[in-house]
Formats: sequence, structure tokens, C-alpha cells
Amino acid sequence: MKPTHTFQAESITAGYDKKTILHDISIAIPSNKISIIIGANGCGKSTLLKTMARLIKPTSGQISLDGKPIHKIPPKHLARVLGLLPQSPIVPEGITVADLVGRGRFPHHTFMKGWSKKDYEAVAEAMDIMNITEFADRNIDELSGGQRQRVWIAMALAQQTDILFLDEPTTYLDITYQVEILDMLTDLNRKYGTTIVMVLHDINLSARYADHIFALNKGKLVAEGTPSEVITSSLIKDIFNLNCKVIEDPVSDSPSVVPIGRHHNKSISISENPVIV
Amino acid sequence: MDGLFHPEVLTHEANVVRQRIVRTIFCLMCGAALGVSGALMQSVTRNPIADPSILGVNTGASLFVVCGIAFFNISSANEYIWLAIAGAILTSIFVFGIGSMGSGGATPLKLVLAGAATSAILSSLVVAVMIPRSNVMDQFRFWQVGSVGSGNWDSIATFVPFLIIGLLIAVFTGPGLNALALGDEVAKGLGVRTGTIRLVAALGAVLLCGAATALAGPIGFIGLLATHVIRLLIGPDLRYIIPMSALTGAIILTVSDVLGRLLGSPGELEVGIVTAFVGAPILILITMKAKMRAL
Repeated sequence: MKPTHTFQAESITAGYDKKTILHDISIAIPSNKISIIIGANGCGKSTLLKTMARLIKPTSGQISLDGKPIHKIPPKHLARVLGLLPQSPIVPEGITVADLVGRGRFPHHTFMKGWSKKDYEAVAEAMDIMNITEFADRNIDELSGGQRQRVWIAMALAQQTDILFLDEPTTYLDITYQVEILDMLTDLNRKYGTTIVMVLHDINLSARYADHIFALNKGKLVAEGTPSEVITSSLIKDIFNLNCKVIEDPVSDSPSVVPIGRHHNKSISISENPVIV
Repeated sequence: MDGLFHPEVLTHEANVVRQRIVRTIFCLMCGAALGVSGALMQSVTRNPIADPSILGVNTGASLFVVCGIAFFNISSANEYIWLAIAGAILTSIFVFGIGSMGSGGATPLKLVLAGAATSAILSSLVVAVMIPRSNVMDQFRFWQVGSVGSGNWDSIATFVPFLIIGLLIAVFTGPGLNALALGDEVAKGLGVRTGTIRLVAALGAVLLCGAATALAGPIGFIGLLATHVIRLLIGPDLRYIIPMSALTGAIILTVSDVLGRLLGSPGELEVGIVTAFVGAPILILITMKAKMRAL
């Protein structure tokens, strides 16, 4: 099992150029759990992830790993504990799966040291976990979107970090592959205890797969807790401006959001929901 | 061959052999420097068509050299080299500055346009400085076309430290540049200091191309040709691309030089002309391919 870490953001304010996107957010990432950040487009969920992964420097506040401010940890040392898969990484032309996954080993290398047995083992293990070993020598360009995303996650796994941040790892994928990726990440968490923090778009998949949810609205943290504690129709109304009914997910213990639009409503569900005009 | 080991032998043949050996060594070194310089520039800018000649860096080096000749009576390789490197650094900053303006950052197309425009302005400045000074023109004309025939042991000795420093920089930045190829965010996630590695690698590229340009004149397209041939053959891993593009650059330049001597006999065609003839069509092909990928 991966060791326990405390990872905290204390009253961080951050943004791009002069535009402030995050306002005074304080969170503590539950160790060895899957946390999902939810919120509407533009609410700052990606910005929060990027700030915690030190891609963006907060204008105020502090982010710390095991009590040490992350900007005081040498980048390579931090990269051995904290991995990141951003939303749109670049695929170099003509790169093979094994080569790309192997680039995740960068933080474990020093100036003079070449590739060791440990490096090859880490790459083989990462490819095995993501079930892409059979593609090792294939060109990334030949793979489907779902397979490609598995390769990127394997690259992050080869980094062998205790904490893994993923920015919308299921975007642009068919529902089959979204579930496949989330299942694999859950395996990873259950088997190795890897702390996973990700931004997800799909509210129902978030409710299903999260141990802990952070709900953001307009750059502020509005709720956090287990999916059952956080996902309520009033919260969904607040952060997505959507009327809905929250029911128990018929296949799991998590809540499930059923949106209510202006059409196709049985008269009974409308009367149950007084918010509708 | 005897002449090589017995400096007292002064026959015509011995002299020719000696000169040819110097010329070949010089060719190999310049080609290696230009090949690696191209590989570094392409990685730093994450741009497949970055090359000292296309980005106008060579022309910047030329302008500084011609000004040195015209205004400061400079004529030694040692002094050329610093002027050329200063010119190369200033021009690359200028071209990337212009190319990065507007939306989308430094796209391949914008960089080529910025490089071409800068190159055109600098070339006309070179001519403007040179035309009224016939003595400068003679000295400069030969240098300008790009000739490895002017190489001698002195210029090789001047070149060696720059070549070694440049190659060391390339080898040490290779793994970081590999990570940078996956995008800045991935690279930072892997613990790469992206700003530092870009700066150091760019410095290496400019040292290599500035030194080669100072001594042999602006020879174009070697960096572009070498790295693209190598990428096709061995893929995108810079740990292999860097040494292999040094080797390929050295071979391409040496072969071009021999070709220039054969085609131009009884005189010779300057090697810069030969590489331009070979390189231009390849550049067009690559740009078309790059554009299609971008679309």
C-alpha cells in the first residue's frame, strides 16, 4: 500500500493574468482515496487542480505536501510523489506506446544515470495495469481514443507516485471507455492505495466513483463530503442552475441525478418539484 | 599519404591531401554542429521546421560579421565567432518574439513568416553595409555563400570548444526535452523546469549554429534535413536523435561539399548553394505535411 500523505491547500486565490478564478479555497485531500472535483464550466475546477499540481502559482495562500510548501520542494522530488495528467497532452509524431510510457520515468533519473532495471519494470507494470502491453511497440497514432487515454494514464503510472491528479481523464470518450477508465482508476486505488484527485464532467459518474467530492461554484468551494452528503437537488440547482431529482442509483449505493427539463415531464414529478415555473 | 605524417614533404600532392583532410574534418564538425542545432531548435520550439537558416538566425550572424568587417576591421576567426554568436542570439530572440505575437503562440507558419521577414530585412542591411566598400565585399562574399573550403587548423581549433560545449548541452538537456515534447503541463508534472531547460537548450543551439556560421558562412537546411531523416528512421526519442543528427548532419554536409566540387569542376560550387538546392524541396514537403497534421 502507498504511504499516507497530507496534501493541503490553505486559502488559495489563483487565476490567469489579472483574472482571479479561485477565491480563498481551503481543502485537504483525503489520503488513499478517490476525490472528484465537480462544478459547472468555468467554475475553476481545472484551475484548482492545476494550482495544486503547481502548474499555476497561487497569488495568495499556500499548498503543502506533508507540511512542506510545494514550491520549496525540488520539482523532481515532488514529481516522485505527485503525478499529473493534464487535459490535452501532446503526442509527438511517430512515438510508440512504450516510449511514451517510459517518459514518465523522468523524475527518477539523475544526470548521469541511464535506464535501470527498475525503470523497465515500472514501465512494464504500468502498461500491464492499463492493459496496453500488447500495444507496446505500436505507434500511438494507430490507437483508438480510449486506448490512447490508457497509454497516457500508464505514462503517469510509470512515474510511480503516491498521489495522482487527472484533469478530465474521460473527456471525448464514448461512455464504454469512460466507465472502463474509471474502473481501472478504482482498481489502482483499491490495489495500491494511490490517492487520486480528478476533475470530472459527468455528475453521475462522479457520484458513482468518488469517495469524496469537492463541489465548486464560481471559484468557491461550496460543499464537500461523500457523494450522498454532497449531491442534493439544491446543490445541483446552485452550481449547475439545473432542476433535478436526486434518486438512489439503482445499481450502487451512490446518489444519481435525474435532470428535469421543460419537456417530457410526467405531471407527478413536476408537482413534486416546486422549483419549476 | 606520406605528406600527412612528414611535414617536410612539400610536393603538390602532399599539400592537396593535407588540405583535403582539413577540409573534411571541418565539414564533419560544421555538419554535426548544424545538425544538433536544428534538433535542439525544433525541440525548444516544439516546431518541426525550426532550423537556423529558416528562422533567420544565420542572417543575423551574417549581419554582425559584415558589420565587424566593415566598421571594426575584424578578420580573424576568433573575432568572427563572438560576433556571429551575438548576432545569432539577438536574431533568435527577435524572431521568436515576433512569431509568438497574437493568438496561438509560435505556430510553425508564423515562425517561418517571422524568420523570412527578418531574414529579408537583415539581408538588405548586409548589402547596404557592403556595397559601398569593395574590400569588405571581397572578404565577405566568399564567407557569405557558405564555404567549408576556407577552413584551416586554426579555425578548427577555434571551433572545437564551442562544438564540445554545444554537444554536452544537447546531451544533458535531451531527457528534459523528451518530456517537454509531451507539452509544457506534462513536463512540469514530471518535474522538468521548463523555462530553464528551454533557455539552456536554446543557448546550446545558438552556440553551435553561431560558431559554425562564423567559420563556414551561413549554410542552410542541414539541421532540418538531418533531424527529419533521423526521425523517420529511429523515431522521436531525443536521446538518440541528438547523436544521430550530429552524425547525419556531418555526413550530409560532407557529401554536399564533395557534390559541389564534382558538379562545379573545374572550379567548385559552394556547399551552401548545394545544401539550399537539396534542402528547399524537403522543407516544402515537411511544411505541407505539418500543415496537414495541424488541420
